[in-house]
Amino acid sequence: MPRVERSRTVQALRRVVHTVHTVELGETTGYEQGRLLVGRSQAEARYADPALAAVRVHVASPGDAVRIIAPLDVVEPRAKGPGGGMFPGWLAPVNRRRGPETHVLRGAAVLSAGYLPRNQEGLIDMTGPAAELSPFGGTHNVVVEFDPADGASWAEVDAAVRRGSLRLAAHLAEAAVEAEPDAVEELAEPHRPGEPTGGLPRVGVITNLQTQGAFKDVFVYGRSMAGSLPTLFDPAEVEDGAVVSGQYGHPALRNPTYLHQNHPVLAELRARDGRDLRFAGLVLSPEPVEQSGKELCSTHAAWLCRAAGFDAAIVTKEGAGNADNDLALKVDALEALSLAAVALYAEMSGPDGTGPPLVAGPRRGALVSTGNYDQRLRLPAVERALGGDRLRILDVDATAAIEAPVAMMLSALSPLGAGRLTCRAEEAA
Amino acid sequence: MRIAHYLNQFYAGLGGEEAADLGPRVIDGPAGPGRLLQQLLGEQHRIVATIVCGDDHAATTPGVSAELLGLARAAGAELLVAGPAFGSGRYGLACARLVAAATAAGLPALGSMHPDNPGLAEAGTAPVIAAGATAREMRPSLQRLAAAVAKLATSESLTAADGRIAQVARVGRLVERRAAWRAVDLVLRRLGGDTEATEIPVGGFDAVVPAAPLDKTASAAVALLTEGALVPAGNPDRLESARATRWLRYQIEGIEELATGAWESVDGGFATVAANADPNRMLPLDAARELERDGAIGRLHGEFLVTVGNGTSVATARRFGVEWAAELRKAGVQAAILTAT
Repeated sequence: MPRVERSRTVQALRRVVHTVHTVELGETTGYEQGRLLVGRSQAEARYADPALAAVRVHVASPGDAVRIIAPLDVVEPRAKGPGGGMFPGWLAPVNRRRGPETHVLRGAAVLSAGYLPRNQEGLIDMTGPAAELSPFGGTHNVVVEFDPADGASWAEVDAAVRRGSLRLAAHLAEAAVEAEPDAVEELAEPHRPGEPTGGLPRVGVITNLQTQGAFKDVFVYGRSMAGSLPTLFDPAEVEDGAVVSGQYGHPALRNPTYLHQNHPVLAELRARDGRDLRFAGLVLSPEPVEQSGKELCSTHAAWLCRAAGFDAAIVTKEGAGNADNDLALKVDALEALSLAAVALYAEMSGPDGTGPPLVAGPRRGALVSTGNYDQRLRLPAVERALGGDRLRILDVDATAAIEAPVAMMLSALSPLGAGRLTCRAEEAA
Repeated sequence: MRIAHYLNQFYAGLGGEEAADLGPRVIDGPAGPGRLLQQLLGEQHRIVATIVCGDDHAATTPGVSAELLGLARAAGAELLVAGPAFGSGRYGLACARLVAAATAAGLPALGSMHPDNPGLAEAGTAPVIAAGATAREMRPSLQRLAAAVAKLATSESLTAADGRIAQVARVGRLVERRAAWRAVDLVLRRLGGDTEATEIPVGGFDAVVPAAPLDKTASAAVALLTEGALVPAGNPDRLESARATRWLRYQIEGIEELATGAWESVDGGFATVAANADPNRMLPLDAARELERDGAIGRLHGEFLVTVGNGTSVATARRFGVEWAAELRKAGVQAAILTAT
């Protein structure tokens, strides 16, 4: 038998980072030395679609007395350079020629905001105590409001806003392609089963994607993952926007596209690759709504991890109660196959934190707490609101001083692990 | 010290579930487990009155705590003791609300129940002493309670060492490392053999034992319930779309089916288009009426109970469960269909 030589023809992906320090609106889009200029009409043109009557582009930076309400998706500006190739399945075919470099406007975000059915109302404060809880209180945000066209269905409006945001994100990053980068980051491919480990454990991640139909769906290469089995997935493709969110449930428990592009668990596994562990890979899984579907996906995901030679897996989710069951079943299935498993959960222990923290949890494994959904914060009034005039759920003006649960603050309890919140038991006297 | 002792109808010897809607009343001196409690307390402290209320009445009647407190005061009580309620939901709720009301009114009070009792959260700052899960642990529970009474009488405050159930609050805080870093750290510790490390305790979920099947469905009163936030169009009573703090009731007496446009789901957690197009698919009134006409069930309860499950905390949901069960028992309902989203 001839021996097959395995050659590495696929180059590792390089992130070419351009750090954004200020964002302004202007005539023509440009990037120079940390200053991002957003061409207003160029930006609006990215949203040209029969389903939209008009869009309005604003900017909101950290420290501004601005509250963004009803946020939808958030996208990090990224571009592949001439020829395109970003957001496969949306702006490029999946079988495109894949350039080895991805330009990133780090510190900037494209963020759409406004009413859509099932957009559970959330907020981002750019100043005050909520600003440090949302990852997007710390980014320079290009905020896009929109008016639906007469006769357009909400599903068409949603799709038009999503396509527009992806186009705008690519457009903005293209302006930096020629600029001198602030950093170049090499992203090694996952460790292959059978290659020497140097005695280090092979650790991967399973990321559950919410799949509950219109307005509560996540897209992989432009398609819903509903009905799919869990699959091994190329993490470099996630960097290039293969996973796009159209999911507008529980604001604090959302994973916008931005956080898939910057998947925190992938980043931490890579950071410790070769030192404490071998980064073994990424599994994407749907979160089916039926119990039998949850059981099927959990059993199959655990088998997949074992077949791919994982010694351990970290499991992430999106959403609340329903999604907690997917985490529990996967952790139990992994542990039953003798893989060490850790899941990221948000707690729901009531405003004072004295109630039971979880609706559903595994029998074994270990759990990370990303904070308490019900914890309340007092937020000061702001000067300006984007995304709408009123906070419907509290029935107040959008700029008002409010008391609100962490549950309302976009990605504040990030199930992908972006945040620094946790909970600890403290006995009262 | 003069003590008023609160018991439910069962422990006071006034009857079982059939007597659960009994209103407040007073028995002179100790009754039921109060007799053993009196023995354990010795001669220094005297149970002067036993205050009694049926579980359903206590769990469903607004203002009942004030009424019970008035009876204790009238008996000249210097201390109110409630329970042990063990794991019983309605009884625990009544004990907790009563000791909270007494404490707020300046009458020292002490409750006794299992730490998992859904009523516990209602006790506020009033001290509660741990009891066993069931009446099989009556004696040790009363021993602990009696010791706590003796200590309280000397004006010492009660601590966890006395069996006081400490309110453990899980307090949210910002830490140095983000959750993804901590997840990697935790998985490496687990791989290294530390199987105890976790930020949230693992396991410990209670299993619900189903009630026995009905003997005769043809004579049963059946209620419809939903956590899908189905309310009259316009949501006149402002039910929350998420994180419920309350539940509501709506009349369906004489209504054959839920008319499209007259009802809506305000649940913020699922796509309500189909439910709003035909509200009967959320709350199956049309099908239930058919069963009623066919004689498959005895009668349909005249109102449905509704809340929103979306994002509602477990503690709140457990309390709603206790209150709904009491409501339905009081109304003579034998079975309920609870639709979820």
